Amino acid sequence: MSAPVIVGIAQLAICHSPSKLSCLGLGSCVAIIMHDPVAKIGGIVHVLLPKAPNKCDREEKYADTGARKLFRELTTHGANGKRLVAKLIGGSQMFTALDLSIANIGRENSFMARKVLGELGVKIIAEDLYGHRGRNITFDPANGFVTVQVTFGPTKVI
Amino acid sequence: MEDKDTQKVLEIVREFANIGAGSAATALSSMLDTELMNDVTTVSFLPLGEVASWLGGPDRLVAGTYTYLCGNLKSGILVVLPDDSAKALLEHLTKEEVDLSCLTEMQKSALREVGNICLCWYLIAVCRMINIDMIPAPPDATVDLLGAVLDIPLASLGIKVDTVIAVHTSFKGIDRQIDGYFLMLPEESTLSVILEKMGELSR
Repeated sequence: MSAPVIVGIAQLAICHSPSKLSCLGLGSCVAIIMHDPVAKIGGIVHVLLPKAPNKCDREEKYADTGARKLFRELTTHGANGKRLVAKLIGGSQMFTALDLSIANIGRENSFMARKVLGELGVKIIAEDLYGHRGRNITFDPANGFVTVQVTFGPTKVI
Repeated sequence: MEDKDTQKVLEIVREFANIGAGSAATALSSMLDTELMNDVTTVSFLPLGEVASWLGGPDRLVAGTYTYLCGNLKSGILVVLPDDSAKALLEHLTKEEVDLSCLTEMQKSALREVGNICLCWYLIAVCRMINIDMIPAPPDATVDLLGAVLDIPLASLGIKVDTVIAVHTSFKGIDRQIDGYFLMLPEESTLSVILEKMGELSR
């Protein structure tokens, strides 16, 4: 089988089974994953910040615009919007001792992703958020499973 | 900036980087009570988006120490040590076996200090060169995937920074090679101040 496609920061990708998608080194970034279990199609958007500014440079960079774009892309490529379910992974706080307002941006990314998914009517069926560790993930649209490898931690499937 | 100017500025940056690496090596040597020599120093100007691949890919395991400048000049500063270099330094410093996956408070503090010393000596070299004082905030360190370590610098500066001054130094000592990366992520206005000062030096 071919290697998964890597979805970098501020990138969006969708794929059909048997292809897979992967994100490496998720820290405070959040991977928003949507999946249509019947059409076996799904996608990831790897967002860095919660809210797009008025003059948005790149929709895929922000949780609010990124989640909406992923929904649009999937529904125009054969997914049924009513069947879509979501999973959220990431949102860690990597540096805890820094006196920076942005130090816990991971939590804000997660809140914004949840809010927009609620507005889109996409149900969140699994989450692996927060903590202080990075994560590598692989998503399989055949069954919707996401393999999460936490740095120095266990590998789990959600 | 024209190509000829870029070359000149790169030469100047290389000079400061060598001085910084030399001071960092001396400081680390006395901290570690061993002879550490700076071997090779390379300097590049990179777009922010290419930093991860320059450092070996987002899933590489690294020790990162991050801070930012207080005052008028705005810049993030990141020191990255590959996992094996960080382990060797910490083991020599603490005289005990180090498992990067579960550092004790003491080891974590030692790691922060190693990062802080490198960071400060490189920074002092820049300050002396351009004759402007730069004061860093207290840093924080973590051991994790490079991509995860880079998230906070990217999130806090991604909108305002495009060019990163990236310095790689190999140190020789403790029976092995130690690699260290010093990254300065200046906001555009700060970068132009630094480049202008360096441009004056090159004339």
